[in-house]
Amino acid sequence: MRFAAEYRDGTIGRAIARRLADVVDPDRLYKLMEICGGHTHTIYKYGIGSLLPANVELVHGPGCPVCVIPMGRVADAIAIARQPGVILTCFGDLLRVPGSDGTLLDARAAGADVRIAYSPLDALRIARENPRAEVVFFAIGFETTAPSTALTLLRARAEATSNFSCFCNHVTIGPPLRALLDSPDVFLDGFVGPGHVATVVGSAPFEFIPAEHGKGVVIAGFEPIDVLQAVLMLLEQLRSGRCEVEIQYVRAVTAAGNQRALEVMDTVFALRPQFEWRGLGFIPDSALRLADEFAEFDAELRFGVPGVRIEDPKACQCGEVLRGSIKPWECKVFGTACTPERPIGTCMVAAEGACAAYFNYGRLAAGARAPEAVG
Amino acid sequence: MHDACGHTGGCAICADDAIAMRVVETAPPLQGARCVTADGTAALVLLDLVDAEVGDQVLVHGGVAIARAAR
Repeated sequence: MRFAAEYRDGTIGRAIARRLADVVDPDRLYKLMEICGGHTHTIYKYGIGSLLPANVELVHGPGCPVCVIPMGRVADAIAIARQPGVILTCFGDLLRVPGSDGTLLDARAAGADVRIAYSPLDALRIARENPRAEVVFFAIGFETTAPSTALTLLRARAEATSNFSCFCNHVTIGPPLRALLDSPDVFLDGFVGPGHVATVVGSAPFEFIPAEHGKGVVIAGFEPIDVLQAVLMLLEQLRSGRCEVEIQYVRAVTAAGNQRALEVMDTVFALRPQFEWRGLGFIPDSALRLADEFAEFDAELRFGVPGVRIEDPKACQCGEVLRGSIKPWECKVFGTACTPERPIGTCMVAAEGACAAYFNYGRLAAGARAPEAVG
Repeated sequence: MHDACGHTGGCAICADDAIAMRVVETAPPLQGARCVTADGTAALVLLDLVDAEVGDQVLVHGGVAIARAAR
């Protein structure tokens, strides 16, 4: 497969690392945020941090869809799953996200029919195969995932699949970044932009970052060389006094994005006026609901949900991790009370979550953490 | 490896990750077309959102190709 091996080449990686050392100003600190959980995973898996100059720090952003889903929405999904005759389908990681009254896995153990779907289309197949059941797809994700849900709903309507509906929790990438940049305790020098989201939305949603906040963005792919090159491009922007949106991931991303995907999203979804994000609170225009023309497939209308707001556990510091205010290992419960096997917070649940990624890979890097923080 | 989906680079189904696949055959709208990953795993993928031909490499998320890699 093209575009994989050459982007994992250690020789190229070390060459970029040498270039990074030449570009940085040794008298200042650099704090760059990787927005996407996929990048967080790459950074820990391949030890990118060990190749960076000591004064360049990568912090993790709010781009993991499992991590940012608030507990109240999980509780809503569990309430739907417990209704008689319902098959609730969702992506695998969602099974273990805690709500106020346990997880979807707990609900399944107690008798609810909760199944893993590998895509929204898989959920639709389950609906066709179980015509007497009400099959609900618990949809999460940014603009990467929303087109898949949109196409599935178009197909459900074309096939007149009346026992299928969608509990829509899709979110958009721009508003949380705006909220982050507006918050007074966040100090960043630039962003590694989310490559897969950008294949759909293009670069336009990120243009406000240099225009209004004077910070650079480099949209990057997910191989280790991609991330290193994006960091280099950001540091070169800083050194030359530029701040702009650049695309490193040119083999997949165009400035205009995927117009066809944006059109189907426009057809199927409408913006919610408000949506709650874990760690970031309520953010205007940051999530999608089903458009009125697709109301017949809207699980929130079909079943009704409690819709209550639930505070995160006091011990959990996912919010601060998602804002980049603290590192995973600085959380009070990281690696002790909160582990991938028994997570308290969503950042430890999702494979893309910063805490899970660090637990699985980063904690093995000597000297990169406070020793007492990891169990 | 993620326990739910078997994908080795993060999780392709749980987050905003996408898998590179090669198009083996095309299909009518809203019908899955056969694609394969580098390790030969085959799957039916909707190609409705990209202009892809047999032999092209596409990024797949949630059973849908969201981008075609540069040829």
